[in-house]
Amino acid sequence: MTDLLFNLIYVLLFPGLLFCVVMGVLLAGLDRIWVARMQRRVGPPLLQGWYDFLKCCGKETIIPRHGKKAIYYGAPLLGFVALITISLFLPVVNGQAAFSGTADLVVILYLLTLVSVCMIVGASATGSPFAGVGLSREMVAMISYELPFVLVILTVSKAVLAAGDGASYTFSLQAIADYQAANGPLITHWALIPAAIAMLFVIPCEVGMHPFDVSEAETEICEGTLAEYSGPPLALYRLTHMVKMFIMTALFCVLFLGGISTGFVVLDTLILIVFCLVLTFLTMSLPHAVCARFKTEQVFQFYWTVVAGLAAVSLILVWLGF
Amino acid sequence: MFDKLIDNSMAKSPWIFHINAGSCNGCDIELVSVLTPRYDAERLGFRLTGTPRQADIVVVSGPITLQARDRLVRTLAQVPEPRVVVSLGSCPRSGNVFKGSYAIDGPLDKYTHVDVSVGGCTPKPEAIVAALAQAAEILREKRKEMHK
Repeated sequence: MTDLLFNLIYVLLFPGLLFCVVMGVLLAGLDRIWVARMQRRVGPPLLQGWYDFLKCCGKETIIPRHGKKAIYYGAPLLGFVALITISLFLPVVNGQAAFSGTADLVVILYLLTLVSVCMIVGASATGSPFAGVGLSREMVAMISYELPFVLVILTVSKAVLAAGDGASYTFSLQAIADYQAANGPLITHWALIPAAIAMLFVIPCEVGMHPFDVSEAETEICEGTLAEYSGPPLALYRLTHMVKMFIMTALFCVLFLGGISTGFVVLDTLILIVFCLVLTFLTMSLPHAVCARFKTEQVFQFYWTVVAGLAAVSLILVWLGF
Repeated sequence: MFDKLIDNSMAKSPWIFHINAGSCNGCDIELVSVLTPRYDAERLGFRLTGTPRQADIVVVSGPITLQARDRLVRTLAQVPEPRVVVSLGSCPRSGNVFKGSYAIDGPLDKYTHVDVSVGGCTPKPEAIVAALAQAAEILREKRKEMHK
């Protein structure tokens, strides 16, 4: 009975649905304000993302004649649920994850892919040519960031395994968190710094933030994947986008900045929030304010040469035992 | 309670879709200038969208040329309710200097109900911001009407 109660709290309140949504709205609002300040504007209110969400909920939903209704409504919901599920694998409560398994990093990788796939499936269900262009671009973006992302994960798990420490399995976030709690954050290990930088580059592309938002280029291809979406399904996509900002930054914290624990859940959460804010500024606001949008092939080229190269350097260094 | 929250959010996050119905580009540039650091309409929650499906406020500029007429009608029909139509500049109001031309088929209120109309050739950005803020209030009222 208490197990069930705890699981409900995990899923609905912390670190599940409520916490993720609050953090997502907070990060998205601060990101927009920071970008505005860097362009010498006032910027929208902090809760702008929340207003956008509510506004979209109140709009009429128009399903195109050639659209598939079940997928049109189902895809955003499935994507959102998959994203919230990731938060349950992050060890943020006293260094413990709500649910942990032998290979939860692989599960997270698949769930993150599922979020993007839901976007692609939902877009293709609308039958719009703009969405067609958008989803093909989204696929290219996925291929671009998946390779460095997988290399980073391999590097981290290899580093934890190479250090021994009795870890019998490596793709477990819990084992990585325990290792960091014992030996300090992984980012202090010099051979892992290139992988950390690569991960910093993966974050904005995975979230679909401005210089890498090739699939949602509003001025070129009418919002691309979201071209035919309106009303509550659009609201869910917007929320998914915001929550993804939190999930990706929190994942970076768990992979590279873990093990900083005071023993109190509230203080630990505050530390996590501060890290997430700094990471949001560095990886999302700053490139948004500085760069114009990349072309699709530029994104692909950049991620498969520079970013994947950085991650590979780290992987080789770790493999050689540095 | 939930309805009231949504009503209030309506006025706080109006997304603009801009239709150029044969405009000379003067009004279009002024509309874009509204989103620049000097006037910064984003502080009121405004955002320029690329698709009519996500629009709340439709801004129409230009004297409805014959080429643009059908596209205009079709695009307006794609905007989900509640929506507000703003006519930008003198052209969609009266035809301006193009009035009487064989190539135009205005004014805009022949095709749709116009909620807010900004005069001028071109209107000042201050006037456009004021009109958009007014349009956002009308949006809230329209949403209230919907669930009454």
